[in-house]
Amino acid sequence: MTEVPVSQIRNFSIIAHIDHGKSTLADRLLQRTGTVSDREMKAQFLDNMDLERERGITIKLQAARMNYKARDGKDYVLNLIDTPGHVDFSYEVSRSLIACEGALLVVDASQGVEAQTLANVYLALENNLEIIPVLNKIDLPGAEPERIRQEIEDIIGLDCSGAILASAKQGIGIDEILESIVYLVPPPADTVDQPLRALIFDSYYDSYRGVIVYFRVMDGTLRRKDKVRLMASGKEYEVDELGVLAPTQIEVDELHAGEVGYFAASIKAVEDARVGDTITLVQNPAKEALPGYAEAKPMVFCGLFPTVSDQFEELREALEKLRLSDAALQYEPETSSAMGFGFRCGFLGLLHMEIVQERLEREYNLDLITTAPSVIYRVTTIQGEVLEIDNPSTLPDPQAREKIEEPYVQLDMITPEEYVGALMELCQNRRGEFKDMRYLAQGRTTLIYELPLAEVVTDFFDQMKSRSKGYASMEYHLIGYRENHLSRLDILINGDPVDSLASIVHRDKAYYVGKALVEKLKELIPRHQFKIPIQAAIGSRVVASESIPALRKDVLAKCYGGDISRKKKLLQKQAKGKKRMKAVGTVDVPQEAFMAVLKLS
Amino acid sequence: MIANPASAYIHIPFCRRRCFYCDFPISVLGNHQRGETSGTVESYVDRLGEEIAATPKLNQSPLQTVFFGGGTPSLLSVPQLETILAQLDQRFGIAPAAEISMEMDPGTFDLEHLQGYLAAGITRISLGVQALDDATLESCGRYHRVVDVYHAVDWLHQVAMPNWSLDLISGLPHQTLTDWETGLSKAVALYPHHLSIYDLTVEPQTVFAKRYQPGDQPLPTDEQTAAMYRLAQAFLSAQGYDHYEVSNYAQPGHQCQHNLTYWRNQPYYGFGLGATSYTQLQRVSRPRTLATYSEWVKGFQAAGGIHSEPPTPTLEQLLDRLMLGLRLKEGIGGDEVRSLCDPTTWTTLRAALHPHIAQGWVILEGDTWATLQRLRLSDPEGFLFSNVVLSDCFRAIEDLQES
Repeated sequence: MTEVPVSQIRNFSIIAHIDHGKSTLADRLLQRTGTVSDREMKAQFLDNMDLERERGITIKLQAARMNYKARDGKDYVLNLIDTPGHVDFSYEVSRSLIACEGALLVVDASQGVEAQTLANVYLALENNLEIIPVLNKIDLPGAEPERIRQEIEDIIGLDCSGAILASAKQGIGIDEILESIVYLVPPPADTVDQPLRALIFDSYYDSYRGVIVYFRVMDGTLRRKDKVRLMASGKEYEVDELGVLAPTQIEVDELHAGEVGYFAASIKAVEDARVGDTITLVQNPAKEALPGYAEAKPMVFCGLFPTVSDQFEELREALEKLRLSDAALQYEPETSSAMGFGFRCGFLGLLHMEIVQERLEREYNLDLITTAPSVIYRVTTIQGEVLEIDNPSTLPDPQAREKIEEPYVQLDMITPEEYVGALMELCQNRRGEFKDMRYLAQGRTTLIYELPLAEVVTDFFDQMKSRSKGYASMEYHLIGYRENHLSRLDILINGDPVDSLASIVHRDKAYYVGKALVEKLKELIPRHQFKIPIQAAIGSRVVASESIPALRKDVLAKCYGGDISRKKKLLQKQAKGKKRMKAVGTVDVPQEAFMAVLKLS
Repeated sequence: MIANPASAYIHIPFCRRRCFYCDFPISVLGNHQRGETSGTVESYVDRLGEEIAATPKLNQSPLQTVFFGGGTPSLLSVPQLETILAQLDQRFGIAPAAEISMEMDPGTFDLEHLQGYLAAGITRISLGVQALDDATLESCGRYHRVVDVYHAVDWLHQVAMPNWSLDLISGLPHQTLTDWETGLSKAVALYPHHLSIYDLTVEPQTVFAKRYQPGDQPLPTDEQTAAMYRLAQAFLSAQGYDHYEVSNYAQPGHQCQHNLTYWRNQPYYGFGLGATSYTQLQRVSRPRTLATYSEWVKGFQAAGGIHSEPPTPTLEQLLDRLMLGLRLKEGIGGDEVRSLCDPTTWTTLRAALHPHIAQGWVILEGDTWATLQRLRLSDPEGFLFSNVVLSDCFRAIEDLQES
C-alpha cells in the first residue's frame, strides 16, 4: 500500500434506501477504480452474508479502500464505509457516518426519498458530512430526475442543482461521482501528531484470528505491534495484524489519521471491541474518548426453544458462538411449562431477531420454536420497586402492581398520499397518537405518529407495506416510556394456561386480540380425538373462547393403481408435523401457533 | 428372498374428459374419439407393446392377475385389448384361471364391445358409476348419466358377468346423508359382486380444489362424511358384503385379487404412462404424459430393461407394509411384521402402537406381541383413523432412522 498524505484521503459512505441501488453502485466504484477486477466481481461485492444477498439488503457493513487517480493528476485514496440499511441497526449507521467526511445520497430517480434514507441524511447532516446527491436508475423508463431533484430539495432542503444523474447498472455517471468525492468531500483533519484515537465502526469474529476490528483513525498513528487500549471496555491488546480493506484484507505497517483499516489482536469476543469504542495507545493515551459511545440495548425479546428437547445444549453452544460475533445479542435460560428448556433472547429489532433465528437454523442446523416477540415493560410494584419485564408470563399479578409503563417510539412514514388514510387507520388500530402530517413534493406525504413499540414489533411493517402496496417506508426511534392500562392476556388450551402464549395487551384491545387469537389458534391446532376448548382470559375473566371440534376421520380413501408414493408422502408429512409439535397437556400444538399473535389480521 | 411378480397393471390413460375431482395421469380424447378411430391411442398401444417387450421376465409361473386401469380402458378397441393381452401372455404367460380386470365407464362402450372384451379374456369388470343421480354426476364433471349406468348394467347382466364391481364416491358437493343412503340402495339393487366406496379427497390442481375448500359448503363436513362411511359399512355388511378393505366391499369369493397384491405389498409389473411397478424391491414411477412416457420407453429399451431406482430399504418396506396392509381387514401376518423388524424396530413399533391398541383402533390377534398372529385395525373406528395410527408409526420409525 502506498503512503498517502491526509490531504489526499476521502472517506465517504452511501446513504440509500433498500433497492435504490447502493450495492450496485459500490460494485461499480470498485470496478472503475480497478480495486476489484471484473473477473473477481461477484455481483454485489460488499454484501457478504448469504442472507443479505437473498434479501438484497446490507445487514453488516463493510469497507473498501480504493486508489483513484483524479483528473487533477493526483492519486487519492477513497475509503467507502458501507452502512447497514435497516432501522434495527441505526446505531451502527451513526458510527459509520461519523467515520466519514462525506456521503453519497443515492435516490432512485423514479421512487424518490424514503423514510429510512431521510433519517440517515439527517444523521449525516448533524455530523457535518458533505452530502452529494445522486439520482440513480435514470436509465429506467419511469425515471423522473427533475421531479425527484425537486423532492429532495423540498424535503431535505439540500441544493440539488449539482445532483449527479447516474445508472449504476449501466455504468452512467460513475466518473462524475468519483470526481465529486475528490472535490466536494473534505479531506480528514490532519491530526497525525496527536495521541491515537481510532473509532471502531464494525467488528466481526474470525475463528482463527479472533475479533477483526474495523476502524477509522481520527487522530495520531497506529502501528503493528502497538499496545492498544479500548477506552470503553478498558481492555488492552497488542496489535498482531494491521491492514486495509481493498476490499480483501491487505496488511500494512501503519495507518495514520484519516485512514481506514482493520486490526486483529487475539480479541476473544466482539463485545470486547464494540462498535463506537475508541482505540488509543497504552503508552501516550488520548485524554478523552471519541463521543457517542453507547452499548447496544436490545428492544425486542422472544423465547427460543429447541423443538426436540435434546437440542438444548446445542442451542446453548450455538448462541455462545453467535454472541462472539454479535455483541447486541442477549440470552439467558428460560423454562416454560409448555416448551421446556430454552432461552429468552434480546434483539435490536425484528430483523435482527429474524437474522439470528435464521442463522441458528441454517448454520447450526437447529430446529427451533420461537415465541411471539415482546418488548421491555417497566412495572412498578406496590412496594415501589421497579421491575423490567421482557416476558409476559413473568408479569406480576394485578394486585401486586402499581403501574405498567411501556416503551414508545416516534414513527415517521413517507407515503404516496393515496395511502394516507389506510396508514392512519393502521396507526389508530395500533394505539398510535397522531403527531404531524406534512405534504412533501408531488403527492407524497410524511406522517408522524407516536405509538407503543409493542405495536410496531408485531406485523406492523408488513401491514404498512401491504396497505400502501409496497410504496410507504418507515423509520422509528425510541422516545421513552409511558404508563398505560395494560394486562396480561392468558391463553388456555383445554383448560391449561400456556405460558408461551401469554401476551401483554392494552385493556381496550384485550377483547379484540383475545378473539382473534383464539380464532387463529383454532385454525392452527389440528383436530384431536376430543373437543378442545381454547380460551383467552385476563385473570379469571374469559374474554373470548372457541373450540376445536373432535376429529371425525383421518383416512386415505384410495391407494390407487399401486401408486403409493404420493400417499406415503402425505403420511410422512403428517408424521413430520407431529414431530414439530409441542405437547401442551394432552394437546399437540404446532410451532406456528406460538407466533399466532403476529398473524392476527 | 424376493418374491416373483404374479400381477401386472396396465394403464390406459385416455378419457372423454377430465372429471372435476381427478388428478390421475390421463389424456383427454373428447366426445368423439376412441380406440377404433384415434391414432393417439393406436400409437400408445404400440409404446405399451415396446415396454412389455423390453421388460425382463422375472416370474416362473404365469401371471395370476392382470388389471387394466385408467383413465378409461373401455375406450380401447377390442383388437387393441387383444393385442396387449397377447403381448403379456407371450412375454410373461397368463394363467388360465387368472383374474383379468378392466375398468369401464358407462357411456363409453356398448354390448358388442363388452362381448368382445370378454372374448379377449376379461374376467372381471369394475364399472365407474360414481353416483346414481344426474345432478351429482353433472356436478362432478362426469361424462355419463344415470341412464348410461342402467344400460351398462343391463348388458353386464345380459352376458351374465360372473364378477363385477361398482364404484361410488361419497362426500360429493351438496350430497346429504339421505342422498347417500338412497344412492347406496340403488347401487345394491344392481347386484354388483363388489363395491368400491371412495370418500372424496379434494386433490390439489383439480377443478374441485379451485371451487371448494374441504369441510366448507357445499362439501359435506367431516362429521357428515364420517357418518356416510359408517352408514355404508353398516348397510353393506347387512347386505352380505364383506368390508375387506378400507374402501372396498365384496361378496364372498369376489375380492379383487389384483388389488390384494398391492395391499399385501407383493411385487407387480406395471406398464404405461403414469403406471408404477414394484419388482426386485424397486418402485418405479413412469412419466405422466404421452410425450415423456414415449421418451422414457426409449430410454428403458436402451438401458436393456434395467431400472435405475434403488431397492426399497427394509425400514421403508416395513412402512409400506403397514400403510398398505392395515387397509385390509385381514391385517398383516405377525411373522411378516417380525421378519421386517430388528429388535429395536420391533420395540419402537410396539411403543408407537401401544396407545392405539388401548384405544381399540389396533387389534393384536393372538392377544400379545409375543404370540402375535395378525396385526389389524378395527372396523370402522380403526379404519376411520388409520392415518393417526400410521403417522405415529412413521414418526417413530423415522426417528429411528435419524438416530
